[in-house]
Amino acid sequence: MSSTLQSLFVFGSSHREAPLAIRERFALGPEETLQLQAQLFELPDIKECLVVSTCNRIEIYGLAQNPNSIETNIRDNICALRGVERELLDAHSFWHSNLEALQHVLEVCGGLESQIVGETEILGQMKQAYARAQVANCIGSVLNRVFEKSFQAAKAARNQTGITAGQVSIGNVAVELASRIFGQISTSRVLLLGSGEVAEKTAKALKSKGVADISVSSRNFENAHQLAHNFEGAAIEFSDFQQQLAHFDIVVSSTAATEPVLTRASMERARKRRPDQPCFLIDLGMPRDIEPSVEDLDEVYLYNLDDLSKIANENLVQRKAKIEAARVILKRHAWNLWLQLRRRELQPKRTEASRRSPQSNAVANQA
Amino acid sequence: MLVLSDTLAFSLAAICYSVGFLLASLRLRFKQSDGAWISFAGLIAGFSFQTLALNLRGAAIQACPLGNLFEITQFIVWSLILIFFIIGPIFRLRWLSYFTIALAALLTLLVSLVPGTDAAYQSSMFGGNPWIELHATLAMFSYAVFAILALTSLMFLLQQRSLKKKHHSRLSRYLPSIQQLDTMARRLLLTGFCVLTAALAFGAVFWIQNLQLVPIFKLLVTCLIWIGYGSIIVLRWQHKIVTRRHALACLILFCGALASLWPVQSARSNTEANPAVSTPPANVRD
Repeated sequence: MSSTLQSLFVFGSSHREAPLAIRERFALGPEETLQLQAQLFELPDIKECLVVSTCNRIEIYGLAQNPNSIETNIRDNICALRGVERELLDAHSFWHSNLEALQHVLEVCGGLESQIVGETEILGQMKQAYARAQVANCIGSVLNRVFEKSFQAAKAARNQTGITAGQVSIGNVAVELASRIFGQISTSRVLLLGSGEVAEKTAKALKSKGVADISVSSRNFENAHQLAHNFEGAAIEFSDFQQQLAHFDIVVSSTAATEPVLTRASMERARKRRPDQPCFLIDLGMPRDIEPSVEDLDEVYLYNLDDLSKIANENLVQRKAKIEAARVILKRHAWNLWLQLRRRELQPKRTEASRRSPQSNAVANQA
Repeated sequence: MLVLSDTLAFSLAAICYSVGFLLASLRLRFKQSDGAWISFAGLIAGFSFQTLALNLRGAAIQACPLGNLFEITQFIVWSLILIFFIIGPIFRLRWLSYFTIALAALLTLLVSLVPGTDAAYQSSMFGGNPWIELHATLAMFSYAVFAILALTSLMFLLQQRSLKKKHHSRLSRYLPSIQQLDTMARRLLLTGFCVLTAALAFGAVFWIQNLQLVPIFKLLVTCLIWIGYGSIIVLRWQHKIVTRRHALACLILFCGALASLWPVQSARSNTEANPAVSTPPANVRD
């Protein structure tokens, strides 16, 4: 095996090795990430280097001339930068090299190593880290190839297994359902009832998908005003929301009320004003905020916390069932990439050897 | 050397639609991924053979091939796919190709397998009158628009049922949104109704001059279909039939229109067989 390939490595700590309280201590901000990347690249044994830092992982990919000594150097650098004890880092970190390192980067890009299996956000984060390392001139031909191929392999695994299909968080499940009702949800009008945390997260998920018009109504008008300000929307008096119900396509409710705040009668009145427009009601309240009989109305789609959780769990089970299939695809890609890197490594040597003995080259050509 | 006859080309088209539908269904069932491209490929292949077959048949009878139930159904399926190729990419209706190929396979197989649908008829059935030929073509084209309307209505009902019952199958995830399907259905209904109205208007020019040649049963059924679709438009406009009921009405009316083809065609054949009311027989196709 060539010397260069022996020195391909990945060092890191993720949700698998460290609980949240420990990960917080290792976590790097954007500035610190670049600083660590520059520091490591300055080390004489490191040829190429790339640092990834997300809320769930910190990982350092690199190419080193002497991998045995470089591992210690990297650990020391992180401890110095974050002010953590060496024992703590050693206990909650991993080190892979060569083919194992290749398989790891492919599985990270493919979302198999993510806390929510199959999520695609990590691919974007890896691409950003790669772009930053390129700008900083910290990576060369080997890591360039490794990351480009990893992105391709992740896409192939996603397409062939459908591992990313179906959302697994309450907010995203709600967004997916809204898309199945309204198509483009950017023009949908959203009413947030109450200022519960799950409702706020759901509204954030809707906002991230382009919803521009979010209004908030809460018993505490100050809270409603504050939340509406965060979403660049309007606050509505809680006593008024029933009259304005017909203006909204999506209603997300999460109040602390002990009785339903949205009744069938008020929904029927709203339906009469918009009979051919669907209405998506998301009841995240506990106890429920919306009368269950509202569901029987035409063009009204009511989903409560249990319904959304059930879909999220079903999707998660389906994703987990596809992990092995995705892993097989990624392993195949990792092995091919490994062979390519070896061939590239051997090619210059062969050229050099043939340059050294032109006679043997001529004999080989005649043969 | 194998000579491609019109009958063989029609059969090949039916095979392409059936195989395309089968493969797309298998992919949906086992691969858990969007296999819409398979049905799209099946539609392209089937449409090519069907175009060739209709051309060959048209050249043989020197007119638009709409003389018997077999040809009428083939022409409706051909128009349906032509409309799909036009509106599919514009409105980006995912999986419309799957439903289109399903209907194409069903109809082409049905008329190919049921004996007697491709019966011989007088090749001069349009009497050389271009207006009546235009009437027939437009009428069949409107049926194709109503067929696409029925498919979007079916997709709407499936998506709505899935959302209401909270049963999220693979297919429902790939279907377009209910609002998109509803908008599409509204536009298709208006388009189909306009085309059918134009067909009736062109036909009326001929009917007024040749009242004795018009089969009353056919006229009655056509008018009922026109009134049916017209009523849906009016009721929709008045918000009396919306969304689910609108989709159901469109679906039921199309099934009725399709089912009426057989008795209408039989009635027409009987009228043509009666020399007292038919045009003088010209070249009877074998």
